[in-house]
Amino acid sequence: MTRETIYERLNAVFQDVFDDEEITVNDATTSADIEDWDSLEHINLVAAVEKEFGLKFTMGQVVTMKNVGEMVDIILKSIG
Amino acid sequence: MNHFSFEEIKVGMEESFQTEVTQEKMDAFRMITGDENPLHTSKAFAGAKGYHSCVAYGMLTASFLSTLAGVYLPGEKSLIHSVESKFIKPVFPGDVLLVSGRVKEKNDLFSVITLQVSITNQKGEKVLRGSMQIGVLEDEK
Repeated sequence: MTRETIYERLNAVFQDVFDDEEITVNDATTSADIEDWDSLEHINLVAAVEKEFGLKFTMGQVVTMKNVGEMVDIILKSIG
Repeated sequence: MNHFSFEEIKVGMEESFQTEVTQEKMDAFRMITGDENPLHTSKAFAGAKGYHSCVAYGMLTASFLSTLAGVYLPGEKSLIHSVESKFIKPVFPGDVLLVSGRVKEKNDLFSVITLQVSITNQKGEKVLRGSMQIGVLEDEK
């Protein structure tokens, strides 16, 4: 799967979780860029990404991810 | 009060309890919230709208979900993150409600459970359905 394909699916997940069809994310996107991305929505987001890509993040990955780009790196490594 | 830990909670687990919507609870809710809407306070007004009695506050009915999580499932270790509810049928003072929850999902990473919840009246009619996300607090080490 290409990085572009992952972003297409990831954008849909973000739009669904934050109920905003205008959200598009990129490598540099962080929680500071999305108003409703708080600790509670972070749980929903991680769960939704896991479901979309059929993977499980570890606690270590979740606490060290600095931006969406690092999330995509983990997804790529997990699903190839 | 129950004391379920995250590990003890299994998908499919259920808890429920009964409670009556009394006029005293209606009055207390009115005092706390300041909701003076006549549908909840005037029999004449409610009657004119087609109801045989004052309609109970939907949020009073939903407030029993707090008890479901905080006392029953998971009980003591509950930290409610979110509640979604739909009010399907009206509730009236004097109704006896059965408040039920079933564990639909467990999120191991964040120790959060998702409960599918429903409330039925004494006739077996579902008056509320919804879902809750509840954090299960760890024991202090």
